[in-house]
Amino acid sequence: MKKTAKEIWVFGDYRNYFRNRVTLQLLAKSVELAKKTGSQVCAVIFGNGVQEYVNEYIAHGAEKVYVIDHDSLHEYHVETYVVLMEMIVRKYQPEMLLVGATCFGREFAPRVAKRVHTGLTADCVDLEINGDGLLVQTAPAFGGNLLAKIITPHHRPQMATVRAGVFKELPHDYHASGKVIPIPVPKRLPENRVRLIRSKHEPPRTNRIEDAKIVVCGGRGMGSKQKFKKLFALAELLGGEVGATRPVVYSGWADDDSLIGQAGRQIKPLLLLSFGISGAIQHTAALSDAKFIIAVNKNPEAPMMKMADVAIVADANQVCSALIREIRERIRS
Amino acid sequence: MLKLIVCIKQVPMVSELPWDSRTGTLKREMAEGMMNPACKHALEAALRIKREYGGHITAMTMGPPMAAEVLYEALTLGADRGVLLTDKQMAGADTMITSFTIARAIEKECPEFDLVICGSQTADSETAQVGPQLAEELNIPCAAYIESLECKDKCLRMTRLSDDFLETLEMDLPGLVTITTRQFRPRYATLSGLEEAFQFSGITTLNAADLGLSPEQIGMKASPTRILDVFSSTAEKKNHVMTGAVKKILEEVFEKFGDKIGSAMEKDLKTHEHSD
Amino acid sequence: MDFNPCMKHKLVRKTVREFVETELGPIAHEIDQDARFPWEVVEKMRSLNYFGLQIPREYGGAGLDSISYAIIIEEISRVSAAMGLCITVHNSVGAYPIVLFGTEEQKKQFLPSLAGGEQIGAFCLTEANAGSDAGGVETNAIQDGREYVINGTKIFVTNGGVCGCALIFAVTDPQNPKKAASVFIVEKKTPGFSVGEIEDLCGMRANQVSSLFFEDCRVSENNLLGRRGDGLKVGLAALDTGRIGIAAQALGIAQAAFEASLKYAKERQQFRRPIASFQTIQNYLAEMSTEIDAARLLLYKACAYKDAGKKFGPEAAKAKLFCSTMASKITGLAVRIHGGYGYSKEYDVERYFRDAKVTEIYEGTSEVQRMVIARHLLTTPT
Repeated sequence: MKKTAKEIWVFGDYRNYFRNRVTLQLLAKSVELAKKTGSQVCAVIFGNGVQEYVNEYIAHGAEKVYVIDHDSLHEYHVETYVVLMEMIVRKYQPEMLLVGATCFGREFAPRVAKRVHTGLTADCVDLEINGDGLLVQTAPAFGGNLLAKIITPHHRPQMATVRAGVFKELPHDYHASGKVIPIPVPKRLPENRVRLIRSKHEPPRTNRIEDAKIVVCGGRGMGSKQKFKKLFALAELLGGEVGATRPVVYSGWADDDSLIGQAGRQIKPLLLLSFGISGAIQHTAALSDAKFIIAVNKNPEAPMMKMADVAIVADANQVCSALIREIRERIRS
Repeated sequence: MLKLIVCIKQVPMVSELPWDSRTGTLKREMAEGMMNPACKHALEAALRIKREYGGHITAMTMGPPMAAEVLYEALTLGADRGVLLTDKQMAGADTMITSFTIARAIEKECPEFDLVICGSQTADSETAQVGPQLAEELNIPCAAYIESLECKDKCLRMTRLSDDFLETLEMDLPGLVTITTRQFRPRYATLSGLEEAFQFSGITTLNAADLGLSPEQIGMKASPTRILDVFSSTAEKKNHVMTGAVKKILEEVFEKFGDKIGSAMEKDLKTHEHSD
Repeated sequence: MDFNPCMKHKLVRKTVREFVETELGPIAHEIDQDARFPWEVVEKMRSLNYFGLQIPREYGGAGLDSISYAIIIEEISRVSAAMGLCITVHNSVGAYPIVLFGTEEQKKQFLPSLAGGEQIGAFCLTEANAGSDAGGVETNAIQDGREYVINGTKIFVTNGGVCGCALIFAVTDPQNPKKAASVFIVEKKTPGFSVGEIEDLCGMRANQVSSLFFEDCRVSENNLLGRRGDGLKVGLAALDTGRIGIAAQALGIAQAAFEASLKYAKERQQFRRPIASFQTIQNYLAEMSTEIDAARLLLYKACAYKDAGKKFGPEAAKAKLFCSTMASKITGLAVRIHGGYGYSKEYDVERYFRDAKVTEIYEGTSEVQRMVIARHLLTTPT
């Protein structure tokens, strides 16, 4: 019997293509993993008129693309996608199945895993192959303060959802070629029990802070609502946005939109100034993408100070006032 | 009247965690527990549904005996009944097996349910998998990360923000939803509710045998995933710690890092006192 | 004997801590500085039953046990002693005497609005010439048909500026030394009841401590709490309960001072190492922790006696004496550990230091507590 190459599958999550390139990042990582296991990198894509994505995935490393292209799949639907994925996983039995940890992916993957009865690791930040050829999945816990290395020794496929941005996509290769395997949609798809009434593309609600190049973030260490207001002055001067911790928002010093410490909300400023924040895990977890952090706190041992590039041990409020003065003086007219 | 089930997890309150690196599990007895934040929002959603449409809330948790505390907290906040699944054999279950075990308990204790509400994810393991997998186990429809709920004739209308798409969804009950911490800000517990919870409410405790489950079906043994290693990610940055007079500190900051501040501002800053 | 807190008491502590740290924590410093009563937080506390802690459920209270009560007062005081004071005085000496001595009619009339916090309670004994010596009370209540006419001035009334209903200790029968005084329930809306200026105090500044004036203030005889001449009995019983609250309050202040000190000692660097590495500081911390533990056990013992229906007056006096003395000492040590910063308003320990002092004074000074304890020792048959 001919031994078929084991396949690494990447779920093609293209709905938010321009903002979220996690599928391409996963293809790149799969190319690397496939070299170690002697596998083939495959993309799987469901939808209606998805040829451009098929081409895109091939150009980014997919050697093979499984495609289910049909009118009835014109919009993303978890239930339908779960049924289709279960069907083809059972048929082709891939060795691994990787899914981007988008909102969709994180609802979709656990249900697929359940149906094919295999393990799944959530929101991975690293993937590697160990000596036994198993996929070692590194997943964060406790707001990213702990990392766990997890394997699925006996069940297949080995499944993981992977966080966007941890792997780098390959450059677009115009000469790449890949095999396209069209799969017909089953005659009778089960009726959707969850009906999509409306779907509207929303510019992200709070891209203000998420996209800001400079974020000035304050905690209870600022002292009072009155003193907290200085942070707005500083942010304005810097051309940045103000973020706040949960206690600050709950105390009414800043409004809900400023809250940093919400599941799934990441900021990625070039410069983060943190004032009077000790650094609860919910908060620090959202800061991992900040490029350069200056933190001010009286406590040099505070977690926030440990993760800062520059840790200023002083009163937050005092430093804030002084910094406003300094910046004003130093801006060259 | 809607029969609601809220699944709750007790998570450790502290940020520095006592892990057993040998077994790769948390030494839970070392840490003070609390109700997982998203679960608290899920309970709040249930309480609002109960207020709006009438209902009966069963709070269910799986964990060590001390996890009963989160059930008492749920009763204090307004749940009507608590169910604790506790058994040494259940320990170490991954999401696949956790959802399996909880599903069996739901089938036994409240098979007539209308809606199961879960927190979208836990603060400890953060998988966000148990809710959707529980729906699969129970063979009911599921919608994750829900931000608003309306119920009419056993049909649930919901909204959510999913990957920058604002979606309005509908499903017929019975079903399952998961709730994020974005909406349904939890109420505070009343002190009379607390007294009532301990005086008048009961908690049903079930072990594996009560659920008719054998040791091979549950716990770490049955789980497809294995934890190899757990380690701290907060490898301390080699950072620059500054103390002393504020004026002096700031001068040094601008001298050493003024270019970083300036480039983020897209402005040319004077980094030295006499640089001109 | 079990020294582990039961699940209920653990949950009581967590519940209260979550609320006060979120709602009161951010403003605790400011309300002290501005001597402002935080009505916005009181509004929230009302619906959460903070004003009906030990009022029975049938009158709208929470009907909690005494250990829960002590934990609640400790936790509020750990964040804001002034608000801990407001809640304990309202509950223990403002409302609880009505639970103990009120007629069914009085309970129905006054307890629901006290339990809901629509009326904040106060207890008025102290006068210019009557502090530790209740015999010096000059406020009098003269019977006129089915009414009493009250005249006099009460000073240093906790909650005075915000109360809606106060228990007034007044002389009804000056000729009868054992049965001279009675206690009246007087609502603020009663003509002749007026509030003096808010005192500018060293500590507990957010509490609106004031004088209360009574000028031909007429109340129905139905407002007499207990029998005529029972004033001393009602007053002493109120104080027994009140002392548990003040002990808990002192404990909360000490706990806050200790936590701040422990944190500071680990952070503060001198001679290139944290000051916690010095033995002197370690000794302070060890002593603080030990005394706080001892105080807490003594307090819970008094509470357990009370819940068991036993005589708990001497235990409450011991708890109050020990907790308040301990709190003064520990807040003093906290200031020392903080050095110059401890003397600055920038840090909270300065507030703890000011707040702790008065716990040795009100609801019976430490000297009076010793008197109560000694009297019990000398009159108990051996």
